[in-house]
Amino acid sequence: MTAASRWAGLAALLALWQGLALAGDGWLLAGPVQVAEWLWSNPGPTGRATAATLGNAAWGFLLGNGAAIGLAGIAALWPRALTLVAGLALVVFCLPLIATGPILRVLMGPGDGPQIVLAALAVYYTTLIPLLAGLRAMPQAWLDLVQSYGRGRWAELVHVRARAALPYLLAGLQISAPAAILGAMVGEFTGAERGLGVLTIRFTRDLDVPALWAAATLAAGLSMAVYAGIGWLGRRALSDPPPVILAAPRPVRGSPARKAAQAALLIGVVLVLWWAAVAGLNPFFARRPPDVAAALLWAPDAAATRATLGAAVAQTAGLALPGYAAGLALGAGLAVLLTLRPGLAAVTVPLAVALRSIPIVTTAPLVVLLLGRGATGTLTLVALMVFFPAFVACQQGLAQAPGPILDLFRSHASGPLRQMLHVRIPAMLPALFASARMTVPAAILAATVIEWLATGQGLGNLMALSASVSDYDMLWLTMVAATLLSALLYWAVAWAEGRVLAVMATEQVRP
Amino acid sequence: MPPIPMTRRGLITAGAAGLALGGAGLLRPAAAQVPVALQLSWLHSVQFAGSYIAQKNGWWRDAGLEVALLQGGPNAPVEPPVVAGTALVGISAADYAAAAVAQGAPFRIIGVAMQKNPFAIASLPDNPVRAPADLPGKRIGMAVANTPVLQALCRLNGIDMGAIQIVPTQYSAQPLLAGQVDCLLCWETDLPVAIEMQGLRAETMLLADHGYVLHSQTYIATDDSIANRRADLVALMAGEVRGWDACRADTDAAAELTVAMFPDAGLDLETQKLQARRQVPLMFSDLTDTQGFGWWSDESVEATIRTLSLMGRTVTPDLWDRSILEDLHG
Repeated sequence: MTAASRWAGLAALLALWQGLALAGDGWLLAGPVQVAEWLWSNPGPTGRATAATLGNAAWGFLLGNGAAIGLAGIAALWPRALTLVAGLALVVFCLPLIATGPILRVLMGPGDGPQIVLAALAVYYTTLIPLLAGLRAMPQAWLDLVQSYGRGRWAELVHVRARAALPYLLAGLQISAPAAILGAMVGEFTGAERGLGVLTIRFTRDLDVPALWAAATLAAGLSMAVYAGIGWLGRRALSDPPPVILAAPRPVRGSPARKAAQAALLIGVVLVLWWAAVAGLNPFFARRPPDVAAALLWAPDAAATRATLGAAVAQTAGLALPGYAAGLALGAGLAVLLTLRPGLAAVTVPLAVALRSIPIVTTAPLVVLLLGRGATGTLTLVALMVFFPAFVACQQGLAQAPGPILDLFRSHASGPLRQMLHVRIPAMLPALFASARMTVPAAILAATVIEWLATGQGLGNLMALSASVSDYDMLWLTMVAATLLSALLYWAVAWAEGRVLAVMATEQVRP
Repeated sequence: MPPIPMTRRGLITAGAAGLALGGAGLLRPAAAQVPVALQLSWLHSVQFAGSYIAQKNGWWRDAGLEVALLQGGPNAPVEPPVVAGTALVGISAADYAAAAVAQGAPFRIIGVAMQKNPFAIASLPDNPVRAPADLPGKRIGMAVANTPVLQALCRLNGIDMGAIQIVPTQYSAQPLLAGQVDCLLCWETDLPVAIEMQGLRAETMLLADHGYVLHSQTYIATDDSIANRRADLVALMAGEVRGWDACRADTDAAAELTVAMFPDAGLDLETQKLQARRQVPLMFSDLTDTQGFGWWSDESVEATIRTLSLMGRTVTPDLWDRSILEDLHG
C-alpha cells in the first residue's frame, strides 16, 4: 500500500463520515468538522480525559499482555498444564464487566485500579490464544534438532518456540490496542473521576452530540495509532519469510476418561478459587458457591429463578451465536479479500479499528437507526465485536504462507486466487481456529454488554437488573451461565479444530 | 483537588447558613479527623451540590470529619460499598433500598433528599403528555428495568398499560427528538434539561403529581453504623442539611461551585444551573421548611409503602429511621 493510497483512503473515510453526519438530523452523529471545532475549543478537559484513559489503557495493555506471555510460557514449558491454564484463562475472561466492575471498586477503592484491571482483562485472552498456536507453529525438525543436542523444553522455548510465536504475538498485541482502550473506558463506568468513558456518559445524557463524537474520535484515533505502531514494529522485526512447516501426523490425543478428569479438575480449581476470592468480602454481594447452588436448586423460588435465567440465556445465545458466526465469517472473509486486493485496506482497516474501539453507548443509536431495535441490530453489534480479532488473526495467518511454496506457485504462473486456495488459506487455519476460540467469550461478552447498555434484553439486562435491585444470587448465576455458555461453545470449536488440524496442520496437535 | 477560588456568592452562602454545629457538641479537635466516605449514586453534578457546598466550606472538617465523595456511575451500585463499610452513607432511593433489604442488607433510610420523586414523562409540545390519560396509544421510550415504575403509575391512575407501547431505549433524549417515540420515562432534572439546552421546549409530567409517591435520593446507612457511629452520621447529615439549604438559597452559585470543583467532569454551566433550579422544588416543601431538610412525614412513608406494594415490594415502616435527624435537630 503506497502512502498516496493511504491518504486517499483516509480522505474518502472522512468525506463519508461528514456526508452521513449532514444526512442525519443532528441528534445522532457529528461530522469531522464539528468534532474538530469542539476539540479546538475544549482542549483542557478532553486532553486530561484522554491522558487518564490512555494511561490506564497502557497499564492494562502491559499487565494483560504480560500475563498472557507468562501463561503461554508456562504452557510451553509444562504441556500438561495447558488444559488447566487455558481453562482458567477462559473462565476469567468470561467474567462479565458489569459484575466484576463493582466488586473491583469495593476491593480497590477510588482511583485507577478497576480501570486498569478491566483493561488488562479485556486484552490478555486474545493475546494468549494466538500465542499458544504460535508456540507450536514450527517444523518438527527444529525441535528434533534441539533435542538431538540433549537440550530440554527451556532451550526449545527460548531458541525455537519464542521466535516462531513472534508473528502471533504481534497479531495479539494489535488486537489488544482497541480492546485496552475500550476496557479502560468501560472500567470508568464504575465511578472513575475522569476519562473518556466518563465524558461519554455525560455527553450522551446532555445530548451534546459534537462532544460525544469528539470523545469517540479520540478513542478511535488512539486505537488506530497504537494499532499502526505495532504493525510498523512487526514489519521491522519480521523480515524472514515464513518457513515450510512439516510435521508428522498424529492421532488426536486423550481418552474420554482423561478428558472428563481434566474437566473435573478445572471445575474444582475454579470453585476453590471462587471461594478464596470472596472469602474476605461481605456475603451480601460476594456470594459463595453453595449460596448460588441453593438459589438455583432448592430455594423456595428456585423454579422461578431457573425460568428467568433460562429465558435470558436462550435470548442471549440466540443473538450471540449467529452474531459470532457472522463476525467470524466477515473477519476471515475480509482478511482474504485484503490479501487479494491490498488497496482496500486504506479504507477498511481504520474503519474496523474504529468500530472496535468506540463504546457501544455511542454507536448503538446509529445502529438502531440503520437496522432497527430488533434482533438485526444486536446481531450486527455482536458481529462487529467479533469481527475485528478474527480479522487481525486471519490476516496474520494468511501471511504465514510459506515463502518457498509461494515462489514455486509463482514460477508456475499460478495466480493469486490459486495461491490463496492452495497455500494461504491452509496456512491460515491455525490462526483461524485460534481466532474462532478466542472470540467465543468475546461474542457472549459483547452480546451481554449490548443488552446491558442498549437493548435491555437477555443475560446482559438480567445482570444490570439484578445488580440494581441487589439480587446478587441472580447476578452470580448469570455469571456462571455466561461462563458455561462460553465454555460449551469453546469446546465445540476446539473439537472441530482438533479434527481439522490433525490433517491440515499437524504441528498444532503434537504433544 | 486544586484550591477553588471563593466566589462572592460562595461567601454569602457560607455566611448565611443557619445551623450551628458547635452547640450540638460536634466540634472535635482538628487533629482527630475521622475519614468517612459518602457514596453518590451518579456522576458528579449539581445532583449532589449540597455535599460539595458542605465540603468546600469546611463544614465537615470543622465537625471532625474528613469526607470523601465517591462518584457513582452506570456500573457503580451504591449498596455494596455501604454494606462493605467502604462508605458510611450511600445515596439510594426507597425502591432500591427496599430491594436490598429484602436481599438481606441491613440498611435503613436516615434522610430523604427528594421529597417528591423525580421520575417524569417528557414529551414535545406538539404531541404532549400532560396527564396519565394521555398515555394510551403513545410510544414511550424507557429502560426495560423501569417497567415497574410505569406499571405503578398506570395502576394508580386506572390506565390500561397494554395500550401503551413500550420501546426499550438508551437513557437519552435522542429517540424523542428523532421521532422514534412520543415520550420518555426519565428524571425531571436530566433529559428534559438536555432538551431545553438544545433550544427546544419539553413538556414534563411529574409522576409525583399523579399519585406516585416514592422517596428518592435517600440517605442509607447500615444498622451497625446507626448503632455505633452515631456521631459521625449526625455530623455527616448536619453538613448535608446545611449544604442543601445553601444550595436552595442560591442555585446558580451551587452550579458554579460544582463546575469549578470538577473541571474534568465535562459539565456545562448553563445545564447545571437549570438542573439545580429544577431539583429544588423536589427537595423542599412546607414540611422541610418547618422540620428541616431531609425530614419526612409518616404519611409519606405510608404512601411510599403503598407505591412499593404496587411495584411488587413488601416494606414495613422499619425501613425508615428518623433518629439521626432527631439527634441533629436536637
